[in-house]
Amino acid sequence: MPQPIHTEPSNAIQRRTFLNRAGVGLGAAAISSLLAADESRTPADSVNHRRLPHFPSRIKRVIFLCMAGGPSHLETFDFKPELIRLHGQEMPESFTEGQPIAQLQGQALKIQQPLCTFSRHGQSGIEFSDFLPWQSKLADDICVVKSMVTEQINHDPAHTFMNTGTAISGRPSMGSWITYGLGSETQDLPGFVVMTSVGGRNPQPIASRQWSSGFLPSRFQGVEFNASGDPVQFVKNPAGVSRLAQRRLIDSINQLNRHRNQLNQNPETDTRIAAYEMAFRMQTAVPDLMDVNNEPQHILDMYGAKPGDGSYASNCLLARRLAERGVRFIQLYHRGWDHHGDLKKYMGICCGHTDKPTWALVEDLKQRDMLKDTLVIWGGEFGRTPMFQGKGGVGRDHHIKGFSMWMAGGGVRGGSTYGATDDLGYHAVDEIVNVRDLHATMLHMLGIQHDRFTVPFQGLDMKLTGVEHARVVKEILK
Amino acid sequence: MSDLGGYRAVIPEDAEQSELILRINHEDPDLLMPPSDSGKRLTDQEKKILANWIEQGAKWPEFWAYLAPKKQPEIIPGDRDWGNGWIDSMVLRTLNSRQLTPSPRADNVTTIRRLHFDLTGLPPTIEQIQRFLQDDSSSAYEQIVDELLASPHFGERMAMYWLDLVRYADTVGYHGDQDHNISPYRSWVIDAFNDNKPFDQFTREQLAGDLLPAPTPDQRIATGYNRLLQTTHEGGLQPNEYRAIYAADRVRNISAVWMGATLGCAQCHDHKYDPYTAKDFYAMAAFFADIDDEQHFKVGTNSLPTRRPPELLVISEEHRQHLNALDRKIKLAEKESRSLEEKNKKLDGEALAQGKKERDRLKSVIASLKGERKKIESLGDWTMITQALPEPRVVRVLPRGNWLDESGQIVEPAVPEFMNPIKTEGRATRMDLAIWLTDPSRTSGQLTARVMANRIWFLFMGSGVSPSLDDFGGQGEPPANPELLDSLAWDFIDSGWNVKQLIKEIVTSETYRQSSVETPHLRDTDPYNQLFGRQSRYRLPAEVLRDNALAISGLLNLDEVGGRSVKPFQPAGYYQHLNFPPRTYKQNEDQRQWRRGIYIHWQRQFLHPTLKSLDAPSREECTPKRARSNTPLAALALLNDPSFIASAKIFAEQIQRQSKGDPKTGLDFAFETATSRKPDDAEKKILLDLYQTCLSEYQNDPIAARKLTTRSLLDGEPVDADQASLAAWISVARALLNLDETITRN
Repeated sequence: MPQPIHTEPSNAIQRRTFLNRAGVGLGAAAISSLLAADESRTPADSVNHRRLPHFPSRIKRVIFLCMAGGPSHLETFDFKPELIRLHGQEMPESFTEGQPIAQLQGQALKIQQPLCTFSRHGQSGIEFSDFLPWQSKLADDICVVKSMVTEQINHDPAHTFMNTGTAISGRPSMGSWITYGLGSETQDLPGFVVMTSVGGRNPQPIASRQWSSGFLPSRFQGVEFNASGDPVQFVKNPAGVSRLAQRRLIDSINQLNRHRNQLNQNPETDTRIAAYEMAFRMQTAVPDLMDVNNEPQHILDMYGAKPGDGSYASNCLLARRLAERGVRFIQLYHRGWDHHGDLKKYMGICCGHTDKPTWALVEDLKQRDMLKDTLVIWGGEFGRTPMFQGKGGVGRDHHIKGFSMWMAGGGVRGGSTYGATDDLGYHAVDEIVNVRDLHATMLHMLGIQHDRFTVPFQGLDMKLTGVEHARVVKEILK
Repeated sequence: MSDLGGYRAVIPEDAEQSELILRINHEDPDLLMPPSDSGKRLTDQEKKILANWIEQGAKWPEFWAYLAPKKQPEIIPGDRDWGNGWIDSMVLRTLNSRQLTPSPRADNVTTIRRLHFDLTGLPPTIEQIQRFLQDDSSSAYEQIVDELLASPHFGERMAMYWLDLVRYADTVGYHGDQDHNISPYRSWVIDAFNDNKPFDQFTREQLAGDLLPAPTPDQRIATGYNRLLQTTHEGGLQPNEYRAIYAADRVRNISAVWMGATLGCAQCHDHKYDPYTAKDFYAMAAFFADIDDEQHFKVGTNSLPTRRPPELLVISEEHRQHLNALDRKIKLAEKESRSLEEKNKKLDGEALAQGKKERDRLKSVIASLKGERKKIESLGDWTMITQALPEPRVVRVLPRGNWLDESGQIVEPAVPEFMNPIKTEGRATRMDLAIWLTDPSRTSGQLTARVMANRIWFLFMGSGVSPSLDDFGGQGEPPANPELLDSLAWDFIDSGWNVKQLIKEIVTSETYRQSSVETPHLRDTDPYNQLFGRQSRYRLPAEVLRDNALAISGLLNLDEVGGRSVKPFQPAGYYQHLNFPPRTYKQNEDQRQWRRGIYIHWQRQFLHPTLKSLDAPSREECTPKRARSNTPLAALALLNDPSFIASAKIFAEQIQRQSKGDPKTGLDFAFETATSRKPDDAEKKILLDLYQTCLSEYQNDPIAARKLTTRSLLDGEPVDADQASLAAWISVARALLNLDETITRN
């Protein structure tokens, strides 16, 4: 365990706990200088994140649009004419031999042609499928990486891998790493927020470990915001308790705690007083954030958002509002992309839910001049096989050896593509980007050198990018 | 120090010729250590220490954690020494060597509160406190210790910790996170602590109870330990992959729980800091290769609970006999029905019609017998157990942990090679491993004693003698007082692995009874309390915090010990992301919702949000030390979770009754019930102001008063018609339930 987190009864640590929470508005640099004064009080503390960022950052925040279930690269960004020519034929064994296979284990492997057409867009001429009429308008803003690979072929471990860089449980997710490293720029909201929506084929489950802080302090875990019920668990006062009454209650609690602490001089009590203060601020800030009634109609229309409907569209709008308020890492899940069967129908549904709002989010950030310091990432935990699967109509199985994601904003070379899969869209063959490289690149844009951003745990200097080689994909950056 | 091809890293007494010294001072950045791009640098001071160490002979003692604990010479306390036994003498000696002195005793109220929380996880009642305060006899304290150790709630408190270690949960963990059957194991753990089952026996029954001669049902329930790992029931799983994942999960847990080792680090390569090799990792996994745990690859469904045979039906003897009788009847009826079918084939006309009628009658008899059987079964609980396969799975070393690579050598069960080996003929079993782990005469068992003694000390002092409860390896921190830790280990062994006795020794020491108030001097010299010149203060663990609020109000249901998991209130939609199948949380609306936190349904992927915000772990991995965070989300849960609001309401009704029209009387009662002490004048004033302001507000706003006093989650109507006053008392009750002092063990 990182020492400073678990050895509680220290003045130094508690001051830091307090500062990180109470003083988040100070900015990471200010905090790190305050913390430096405490250094002598933290034995065995080799956490080097105090020197963050390592170099000037290009972006302030990340919005990760996770298309959970694994959207087909072959029906979005990766057009393979060869699949049309060879449609219905057996998949050459040279491609599949010795490769992990999910639900198609033991079945005949037949080539499946794309279930859509493709066309080129923008000045860049990037290819988009006709499932994506809105995202295709972003042709000159995004960089499509066509050579993604991952290591996990089932949903749960593949998400864990995408979020934490490993399939081993108990490790922090990228949002936790980043808020741990850089702090937050909001005093009233968590630094790492997660929202989800459904629509499409039977939604894949998503475990809260996907936004867990792992061995990092729990205050860095992602906080889930819900569209229905309380937006954050227990953020609403009990019935019959007004805001004023809650304020008075918290004041009384803090007064009593302060009084008693004159005797004990316990820094942890000071932290508790600050935590209750922030809890109260969140009780205002969260409903204020969620209330989109003050958004002009044309913005609501742009996203296609209906206030309070819990749709991906509403979540995209909320993502922008979170970004405006200084939240560091915003992750949206849309659960419905697991198209083992009836892919055409379900792609239609998923894209119907997500295509326009995704465009709107990028466009809206752009018109507010926020895209320059925001990184937007779109993609699933893996792609889908070039081979046919027929679980209720034509579909495709999980595929990890080559798939597509895109990035936009803050220093990303818009209007470009990077890497390629082979003629059948099976293996990434050119300029391969694995999940570690994606993490390294994202950290780089935040001003963090991935291999120096470590926390000691179980005897190792743990990194988001793990022990194997990871590289910053500089080619996709301006 | 060996020859590395013409040079040596360390040449004793010759720093200049030692490669180590050369490299840490090298001018070429490519040769400099640590590497220049690692972001790590040695200071001149540190370099000098290394050089001096080599000059002085480069003495390299064996690592403390792999050496058997040393028996310490008996300490004869001097006249002016403090304390009442060897623990105190050892603590005092270390404190004195750093020019420190112990803290004074905590006051009696703090002491009795601490003791109750530590031994039962429950607050003392006002009567229990009064009894202690009024008993002047010298044995009063020890008497209470004995009573609490004998309380059935002691087992619950200890089990809470054990369940964190062995990662007990009610769901499978991966993908659909379906429920599985395991709660009888939890009851077994509680009983084991209550019965003071010796730790070696406790170990054997969990790891290998099925291998005992003629195992009892209880011993088979104990083997549920081997089934607590996370499993997947996802379609499209690759059996070989999960075979490897399950094996690794088990190795991580067994090594963490019993050895304080991070053997999991050797899954892909030899351990970077400790002498565990990758082969050790897979040899350890091989002990568990006989566990029948793959049936669910085929039959594991998306049902709730899912199917993870083998399971045992835990049921009373009377019901078991009834079941046996039913089974006999069903068998008979089925046999008869079959022969009837045969006979019918040869019949026609009226005779056939008659035969068919008879067959139908038999069928309905069978159906009703089976229905009855099901009814009786449902009175029992299924629980996963360990059953050995006739042929254990082949275990290979997986190069770089890659399950697709089958080129690695086949390994047999074995303990890490650098440790004392298991002495056995033929293939070593889980039982051999259990015995090896707790053999008092061998180093392996003595090391286990030290790991566990350190954790038991932690439970009562707030930090371990070695702060690294999870890692007794090169990256863990050695104990500041090694003699104390070794003595605790030996005491544990010599007592015959007697957990209650060890705890009693600790809590009756003066070390335990110190105040937890830190002086600035102590805080400066020993910020992490590694020398134990004071007690610790920390926020109560999640389950205890909830139990405490329910106990204060009188809502807590302590009717039984053990049993099925319960489902208290949880926000609607909290399980919306679960699927296969989709989940609706069905809250228990009866008294079950007020059972202790240890019985709350443990959903690995979505742990109850209040428990989670208070650092209860998901139980995916062994957790010897929970975080103790202090966050706004936790504050929101304590302020607004409807279970806590219900507590405040019931508490308020009591306060209103006790106040008999005088708010001051009510306040005294309320404050003492929550904190075990009387409020001072300033505290009285703050709370009285709160009460009066709320009272007048709620008098002006009867609708709000009615809303707040509505008994949601609770039976019946509020007892008093004066809703404004009750609402005001609810506000006071909420304040008290959130007080730092109420939720802190100190």
